[in-house]
Amino acid sequence: MRGIVARTLMRVCVACAVGLVCLAVPATAQTPANVSPTSEPQPAVGLEAVEADVSTRSVAITSSFTGVEIVVFGAIENARQPAVDEGTYDIVIVVSGVRQQLTTRRKTNRAGIWVNTDAVTFENVPSYYAISTTRPLDEIAEPDVLLRNDIGFSRISMRAAPEGDGEEKRPTAKLQEFRDAVVRLKQREGLYLNNEYGVVYVGRTLFRATIDLPANVPVGPLNARIFLFRDRDLVDTFQTRVNLERRGLERYLHNFAFGLPLLYGIFCVLVAVLAGLTASAVVARIRR
Amino acid sequence: MNFYLPIAEMSVNIFVFLGMGAAVGFLSGMFGVGGGFLMTPLLIFSGIPAAVAVGTEAAQIVASSVSGAIAQWQRRNVDFKMGTVLLVGGIGGSVVGVQAVKLLREAGQFDFAVSMLYVTFLGIVGTLMMIESLNTIRKARAGERTSGRRPGQHSWMHRLPLKMRFHRSKLYISAIPPLLIGCLVGFLAAIMGVGGGFIMVPAMIYLLRVPTNVVVGTSLFQIVFVTAMTTILHATQNYTVDVVLALLLMIGGVIGAQLGAVAGAKLQGEQLRFLLAGLVLLVCARMAYGLIATPDEPFSITRMAVGH
Repeated sequence: MRGIVARTLMRVCVACAVGLVCLAVPATAQTPANVSPTSEPQPAVGLEAVEADVSTRSVAITSSFTGVEIVVFGAIENARQPAVDEGTYDIVIVVSGVRQQLTTRRKTNRAGIWVNTDAVTFENVPSYYAISTTRPLDEIAEPDVLLRNDIGFSRISMRAAPEGDGEEKRPTAKLQEFRDAVVRLKQREGLYLNNEYGVVYVGRTLFRATIDLPANVPVGPLNARIFLFRDRDLVDTFQTRVNLERRGLERYLHNFAFGLPLLYGIFCVLVAVLAGLTASAVVARIRR
Repeated sequence: MNFYLPIAEMSVNIFVFLGMGAAVGFLSGMFGVGGGFLMTPLLIFSGIPAAVAVGTEAAQIVASSVSGAIAQWQRRNVDFKMGTVLLVGGIGGSVVGVQAVKLLREAGQFDFAVSMLYVTFLGIVGTLMMIESLNTIRKARAGERTSGRRPGQHSWMHRLPLKMRFHRSKLYISAIPPLLIGCLVGFLAAIMGVGGGFIMVPAMIYLLRVPTNVVVGTSLFQIVFVTAMTTILHATQNYTVDVVLALLLMIGGVIGAQLGAVAGAKLQGEQLRFLLAGLVLLVCARMAYGLIATPDEPFSITRMAVGH
């Protein structure tokens, strides 16, 4: 009896093993094909890749929020950089906020008074845009590569909303002027940040950069993109997210004001009436 | 200590705004005015978006005038019939005003409109007050007796229909002038973030000839309800009432107003009016400067996400 059981067990095991090998063979065969569709002369070690993460995946905007610094850190896989300061690889980190519709207005002097006269609405402007690099962008890559990937203030894609008549009658020079104004004003608000040499190597293949989220950072998810360049070529990209959420009292009041505006308005009046009455009651007591 | 304002969406130092509330509260306690015409410009200069400044200030005025209104009511200084007529007009004006704020914001002309209204009304009121107080001071020095109010003619006003008897004010006049005054005040309250006392009080004294002892109580009665209505309208139409900011201003304002009242008691009426006129003209000049001076940045950006 025992012998038979043992033999059948053996057979099952062998069958399984054969099956596994059969399954495994195509899998291993596929791997190299996957890696090298873009193959130039490839070294045996495999292509470089970048992996990264952020120190804080979720930032809470509470009543005491005064801005925060997040750290983006990562590693270059299969790096053939012999030393930290060799400079074989360049890293570009772009952290951008939700895209918003934005109206830019220009004042001109009409009869001695400065009035908004021109306006251009852009439909998909990043509310926040921080860029950190190992060295100045023009040393890292060609303009067309940067443009394709939305890297750099001058290359942020912004679509001007068509004017009322639908016809595009605005000269590009004017659009460019308004576009520059958006970048300039955003920089002044501290929402567009550029830190050349902000990415530093902490080991042969490890890098890190601190990104500043100011107190006025617009709430919403942030998208962090990490680009790996070698000899002006884009080798790999990596994406990760940071969530920026209202929490606590902050979240409650915001939802109240925008979700139940009528009740919120009545609540504000009640707060005001109570504050006024409490004040006069306190004063009356002190006077007595 | 910083606090993140939920509607203005910015982190502010709470002591700055408590102090601002106290300073304006001090002046308004001293002069016996609401202080909205000082507070709203100050909020705008300190970086609060103009629309949020106006909406929030409406709530603060409710707080600062409610106790005054109750005190006046207890002293029987409120003409409820006159107040109600002014109030009906005021609510109509406020509804129109809040809609105007909405349209002006969409057109990108709100800040400009606020500045223009401030320059116009503060300029007129400040100049008249200045002249009046200087005349009084000069006459007092010359030893002349100052007359109270002159009996006016205003025959056209007596020919208007809808005559009503206002017992407390001892008046028998048409309801149309107070209705229109209330309407203008409500409109200005909604756009300028003020209570409107600086228009209503002179208008009641000089146009309607309401006895001075009921003027303040009646106008406070109107202001409480109109600003309460305006607060609710701004909250529902424009989402621009920041309750945290309002609370900071209320707390500061209450403390300041008490100290101001003590200081005000030490000055004479015409001196107070002279100082107040100077202050009004100063705010007017600052607003005018903002319109005339070449801006260092002609561009501005606004997010059009009203209401998310």
